[in-house]
Amino acid sequence: MRRPVVCGDYDVIVVGAGITGGTIARELSKYTLKAAVMERASDIPFGSSRANSSMIHGGFDDKPGTLKARFCPAGNKMYKVLHEELDFKYRACGSYVCAIGPDEERHLEMLLGYGHKNGVQGLEIISGNALREKEPRTSPEITAALWSPTAAIVNNFEASIAFIDNARQNGVDLFMETEVTGLLFSEDGSHIRGVSTSRGDFTSRVVINAAGVNADLISRMAGDDSFVIQPTRGEYFIFDRNIGGMIDAFFFSCPSDKGKGVTVTHTADDNLLIGPTSVVQTDRENRNTTRPGLEEVFEGAARLVPNIPRNMAITTFSGVRANSVSGDFHIYPLDKPRGFFNAAGIKSPGFTSAPAIASFAVETIKETMPDLVKFEPDPKFVPERRHIPRFADMTMDERKRLAAGDPKWGQIVCRCESVTEAQVVEAIQRGARTVAGVKLWVRPGTGRCQGGFCAPRVVEILARELGVSPLEITRHGGDSRMLTGRTKDPLKAEGRP
Amino acid sequence: MNDTRFVDVAIIGAGPAGVAAGVAARREGAADVVIFERDWEPGGILQQCIHPGFGLHTFGEELTGPEYMHRYLERAREAGVRFDLNTMVFQMDRPVPGDGMKSAGFWTMNPERGVERVEAKAVVLAMGCRERPAGALALAGSRPAGVYTAGTAQRFVNMEGMMPGRRAVIMGTGDIGLIMARRMMLEGAEVTAVFEIMPWVSGLRRNIAQCLDDFGIPYYLNHSVCELHGRDRLEGVSVVEIGEDRRPVPGSEKLIGCDTLLLAVGLIPENELSRMAGIEIEPMTNGPRVNEFMQTSEECVFAAGNVVVVYDLVDFVSMEGERAGAYAARYAAGALSGRKRELRVVPGNNIRVISPQILTGGDDVTIYLRVGVPVEGPCRLYAEPGIFSRNLRYARPGEMNEIKVKAEAISSLPPDVTEITVGVEEL
Repeated sequence: MRRPVVCGDYDVIVVGAGITGGTIARELSKYTLKAAVMERASDIPFGSSRANSSMIHGGFDDKPGTLKARFCPAGNKMYKVLHEELDFKYRACGSYVCAIGPDEERHLEMLLGYGHKNGVQGLEIISGNALREKEPRTSPEITAALWSPTAAIVNNFEASIAFIDNARQNGVDLFMETEVTGLLFSEDGSHIRGVSTSRGDFTSRVVINAAGVNADLISRMAGDDSFVIQPTRGEYFIFDRNIGGMIDAFFFSCPSDKGKGVTVTHTADDNLLIGPTSVVQTDRENRNTTRPGLEEVFEGAARLVPNIPRNMAITTFSGVRANSVSGDFHIYPLDKPRGFFNAAGIKSPGFTSAPAIASFAVETIKETMPDLVKFEPDPKFVPERRHIPRFADMTMDERKRLAAGDPKWGQIVCRCESVTEAQVVEAIQRGARTVAGVKLWVRPGTGRCQGGFCAPRVVEILARELGVSPLEITRHGGDSRMLTGRTKDPLKAEGRP
Repeated sequence: MNDTRFVDVAIIGAGPAGVAAGVAARREGAADVVIFERDWEPGGILQQCIHPGFGLHTFGEELTGPEYMHRYLERAREAGVRFDLNTMVFQMDRPVPGDGMKSAGFWTMNPERGVERVEAKAVVLAMGCRERPAGALALAGSRPAGVYTAGTAQRFVNMEGMMPGRRAVIMGTGDIGLIMARRMMLEGAEVTAVFEIMPWVSGLRRNIAQCLDDFGIPYYLNHSVCELHGRDRLEGVSVVEIGEDRRPVPGSEKLIGCDTLLLAVGLIPENELSRMAGIEIEPMTNGPRVNEFMQTSEECVFAAGNVVVVYDLVDFVSMEGERAGAYAARYAAGALSGRKRELRVVPGNNIRVISPQILTGGDDVTIYLRVGVPVEGPCRLYAEPGIFSRNLRYARPGEMNEIKVKAEAISSLPPDVTEITVGVEEL
């Protein structure tokens, strides 16, 4: 039964606060309309936006004429401006697709052709020897490589947070741990009237579906079952910063029927990242790593960059991509009910495409739904936003200045990544609620000790700042509590002194 | 730079190695000896080691970690060692030649004083070690809450009064894991079992007896946790048997319910600062390569304790700290001499770890060794050519062996000898 209570009324509600929902929310925040984002997770980013290769693709990969081929090169260009405006880490590293032997070299020719048609600048096929001159650690087996100078790497945690953060600064409301469980319709079913959530109902004139791996379920609620999401799991290894510099650019294998193949990356934070696998599964939540999967990643990476020292791995992870069976994005408004817009199937190159998808989505809604929402540009819109200052990247003078003004800047909480207490506190003030949330914002726990040193400190700061007991602090929301009780409690429960 | 602080001997870390180094440096005559410590109290990891078993060699009695540390801190107070607490050394520069002699510079941070630069005539690295995390093991399965290194769990229990779980499985037989098995039990938690991937125990035998056997906690050799289960909090682990080929035995997987997994799968010397300073790291130990003066590849930088090599007993850490502190003080006074030559100490039969790795014949020295595989019977510990030989009843990876060598034994070796080979052979 629907609860009669209405928790809020908006012009537009966005379902999902991943990179797609985030970029759309920010685009909406340029207008005076009232918008909200519903996110079922406790932290941003949570789904596909959290666990991926953090790549800003050049745009030569996708078949001309597809939506991917349209939005990816456009998104690539937008990131060059956006990373400065929104202050997230971006490394203009370029990428190579590496070919081993004549068959794969023919594939490079095909990609080059795609690239030209898609309008990608600067593409060039170089010989294996020319590649090894620039990147000496790459495999001697590689015979040729397609160089894409416009490809880049971002910190995908920071980027995902940045769009939502800026949207919020410009008036968009964000509801965390709020799962959309149904849609509300006008009595005749012709119009969208809002969403039902785990928190209650929210009314709105327009609903935008950016629900990632669950986007087909949301679309079905609106009566559109024209596409199916096929959750595709990918596993990764991440290595110590000490070996990030083995390579400089981003490396692709030639794609096979299993996807783009394993890539090797020097991340925006100087780690080495290898992966992913590509396993189609029915479970939308299964983000497990597997022994064979991790082996496959390691072997695949060795084809590109041999001799990656395995003992320098600091962690492994896995993510689920919102792959559409069609292979392309699904971005369109429904005719019935009016007011519903799909931004679905946003799989690789989804992160790259997101800003272009967002501006297309908002333009389309503006043109097709003028009767539902008024788009008045907001003169108070501020396009710039600053991330929490990064102690690790500061000059010594900046560090001195900050530490002199606030003792929390003088207290290092995470040794591996040089994170101060001030950064952790600000992350909590700006929305982090869990140990993982703090990590996504400012990185404690991402380093080589994997939280061994900082976890107790982060729990303590979270408890203090949120005014709750440390026993309430979770790793990533839900029942993921870090601690189970106080010492002596089990003994007291047994009646022992 | 005008706001640089100058000290004679700077020590990084106020654990057992650093405090012993501070005491020795003062006794050796260094005027200004400062220990920089990131915590607000000295003691390092011993603060949370509230179990007994420390100090049998040094004090002839069994002390807890804090008691053991207290005795050294009393000595430090008497000796006039200064402590800069709540002060983290976060960056170290490459030493540059000063007035003829190199000196070491580094950057500290303190909540009250902010960022400062320190320059020292000699530095002793005493940062200790850290634990190998779960991430490094490439475990299959989910990423739930409830997976901790044993030392992190120890901090929660002993320092913060918090329980990391109610029902624990322990992976690895490192000493902290064994100690925590008992500790969890004493706090009323269940400890289902301890699993060790190797065919032998990696910690001390006495800890197997006192922490597992006495509490009825079973342990299984040749077994490894291979998969984590549970989306939010850990709900169980899969354990697999490891065959003689060191591969998982197919079909041997068992699911064990638990809400906590504690890891004691290795310790890694903490050498981020050493690397920044350009100090050579020895692959065998993951610590700085040192000579018998505990001197690194940078002559003004010394090192001691678990930052050099992971010791089995804190008594040895303190002893090596004293040596490093004394030599650093001599260096700071321009009086460290005695280098006669440079010989490498190299592993012979069944040796995994050696410290120090260079001998100059400049002073008497104790070489510490760990064997690679256990020898459960009579064996001979040797240093060739003709430097040392002694029969042992056994040799185990979890317990270090020592070879005491006189300076003359090194300096009097024929000039064509460039290496000393140490090893353990079965008799």
